[in-house]
Amino acid sequence: MANTSGLFMSVLGGAALVLGVAYGWTARDYRIAELDALTERLAQVERSNADLADKAEQATALEARLSTLETELATALQAVEDAQQAETAPAVVPEADAETVLADAGDPSFGDPAKGEQVFGQCRSCHQVGQGATDRIGPHLNGIFGRRAGAHADYRYSENMQMMGSDGLTWEIDTLDAYLENPKALVSRTRMNFAGLKDPQDRSDILAYLRQFSASPQNIPEAAPTAQPREVDLAPEVLAIVGDTDYGEYLASECKTCHQQDGSDKGIPAITQWPTEDFVVAMHAYKRQIRPHPVMQMMAARLSDEEIAALAAYFAQTE
Amino acid sequence: MKLNRRAFMGTGVAVATLSAPMVHAASHGKPKVVVVGGGAGGATAARYIAKDSAGEIDVTLIEPSRSYYTCFFSNLYIGGFWEIENLAHSYGKLAADYGINVVHDWATGVDRDAKTVALAGGGSVPYDRLILSPGIDFVDGAVPGWDVSAQNAMPHAYKGGSQTELLKAQIMAMPEGGTYVMVAPPNPYRCPPGPYERISMVAHQLKANNPTAKIIIADPKESFSKQALFEEGWQKHYSGMVTRIGPDFGGGNVTVDPAAMTVDIDGEVVKADVVNVIPAQKAGLICEAAGLTDGNWAPVDGASMVSRMDENIHILGDATNQGDMPKSGYSANSQAKVAAMAVRGALTGSRVFPAKYSNTCWSLIATDDGVKVGAAYEPNEEKIASVSSFVSQTGEDEAMRKATYEESIGWYEGITTDMFG
Ligand SMILES: Cc1cc2nc3c(=O)[nH]c(=O)nc-3n(C[C@H](O)[C@H](O)[C@H](O)COP(=O)(O)OP(=O)(O)OC[C@H]3O[C@@H](n4cnc5c(N)ncnc54)[C@H](O)[C@@H]3O)c2cc1C
Repeated sequence: MANTSGLFMSVLGGAALVLGVAYGWTARDYRIAELDALTERLAQVERSNADLADKAEQATALEARLSTLETELATALQAVEDAQQAETAPAVVPEADAETVLADAGDPSFGDPAKGEQVFGQCRSCHQVGQGATDRIGPHLNGIFGRRAGAHADYRYSENMQMMGSDGLTWEIDTLDAYLENPKALVSRTRMNFAGLKDPQDRSDILAYLRQFSASPQNIPEAAPTAQPREVDLAPEVLAIVGDTDYGEYLASECKTCHQQDGSDKGIPAITQWPTEDFVVAMHAYKRQIRPHPVMQMMAARLSDEEIAALAAYFAQTE
Repeated sequence: MKLNRRAFMGTGVAVATLSAPMVHAASHGKPKVVVVGGGAGGATAARYIAKDSAGEIDVTLIEPSRSYYTCFFSNLYIGGFWEIENLAHSYGKLAADYGINVVHDWATGVDRDAKTVALAGGGSVPYDRLILSPGIDFVDGAVPGWDVSAQNAMPHAYKGGSQTELLKAQIMAMPEGGTYVMVAPPNPYRCPPGPYERISMVAHQLKANNPTAKIIIADPKESFSKQALFEEGWQKHYSGMVTRIGPDFGGGNVTVDPAAMTVDIDGEVVKADVVNVIPAQKAGLICEAAGLTDGNWAPVDGASMVSRMDENIHILGDATNQGDMPKSGYSANSQAKVAAMAVRGALTGSRVFPAKYSNTCWSLIATDDGVKVGAAYEPNEEKIASVSSFVSQTGEDEAMRKATYEESIGWYEGITTDMFG
């Protein structure tokens, strides 16, 4: 595995930059084949390791690595494509017809789709949107508004994304906003390898851009929908609370009625050994009802900031 | 090796129980907790006290059965989704891994002044704090014509194990187009959705093996838990099979004749092939014997689940009158953790935090069609009060119902591990 990824890395670093435009397509095909092989090998590793707990950890690391490589590859491919376009096509700025696109684009509290299109540039390496868009590393985003999470038939989502969908997570302006802000806060272990967009205006802009490609814009509130987003943007002092592990242990006894202490996750996700901050953010997301599960919303609703910190501290130190 | 030695020592203790009248070995001066009943409440309480006190407290668990058969998910066995073995749990780990003295015997009485529990096998066990979690018994004469001596002809299957197997065997042996009658209990009773989940699972079994069979419910209650969800499911999956006779039509006026296998519902006599009588319920008899009941149930203070009649006795689960929590395994488990914390606090000075309770009851209506209802609770002076709740919605899609079912299996694994280690 190490050899392959070493080779792969050098191909990526070397080919993308040196071969450049002329060999762009060949290089791309080659890389896709590499990627397929890598994906296939990962699947093999996953299969053969299915019942070996210690190897499972390796597989997770490999998946993360693969995901990083995928992103890098996609970025490189995008660069190649952009370069090709720049060379073959005269500099045609796509008709940014702000008036017809969105009447309320002038409202500062609402996103600007033209700016959103630019911000979307960083997503484009994995996601397509618009006419002819297909699934790439990420699913295409046509009709994303109103779509159940993890529900687009042809795409292979992470287990957690599917579970969130089954729990009722639907992509609307507020859930998309929360997801874009911090993907892993909304969907732990999502495959989307993206740190998040911290600037609310960037998110408003991107959502204004994306909403143009959803079939039923009447479902999208016309009033500045991101003016009061339900964010999981936690004040630093909340994240800084040092949890009381004794109290956490008592509170955690309630969790253990359902969640397995040994970390197994049949039907109910594992909650041990989470990074403290992820745990805190996820619990606040339930508390604010951004994450959909009704039992978890109920449990989180009555936990104070200190209690959430206590739970996180306790679970972080369990084996 | 280590495990073997411990297991062996565990057996040693059990043998000593039979020969010596005094179960407790020479006192080490450690505080003693005795738990009566090794079910959802008792097993959890014993395990948490033993685990969290790390040897500072002697814990004795008195439970007659060698294996605990859960009532929860027994309906899945009736429906053909689970085997009976899936419902059985041993007390081995509580003895071997947690050092709990497991005594397989019945508690017959409590001397509250001497602070001892009397055993059916003779002798008695002293305690500093006593925890009772004996579950339910049935109210005498609740269904005229039925008493426990008739439970072979007309099973209740409302305590786990042999009764569940008996009921299923009778259902499987029903003649083609036969009739199953359930006599449903009045409130309050163990597991509010339990009878209706059972109806769903009986219907599922009959639809596959005996599709012209009929199901009748005689019900003294106006309405029942998750009613809209069950009725929607019965209509969808078992259309025309289930008839419920509510109190308006005499569903509360029932007598049975176990010899003739008939059920008289408000003057209408039904000849049945299986009669599942679930009588009105009360606290497990030991509560009454100990003088801790008021009416049918044992009142407790929700701050710590301590009896309102004896400050050294905590009572858990189905036997209690505590307020808004339903009588469920989840509730009993939740209450056990509060009581365990209070008992440790009293005996060893460990920290005690304010009580929080919760409950969720999952039910299976048909294959991959799971629903749930739940609430969070906090105690006030008067009772344990519901502070928020939720319930599955009618018309949910298949993915959500399937996820709910899978989650319920996860819960079963979780709670049984939480009880038995
Ligand atoms: C069909 C059905 C389905 C159910 N489904 C669910 C469900 O899905 N979810 C849920 O949460 N709950 C469910 N329940 C309810 C659940 O089983 C009970 O609420 C729970 O078991 C109560 O726990 P407990 O500790 O009070 O009593 P139990 O679990 O009944 O334990 C009592 C124990 O005490 C012992 N005992 C009694 N008297 C004495 C004595 N004198 N001396 C020594 N030992 C004694 C008994 O042998 C027994 O083992 C269901 C119940 C039924 C009948």
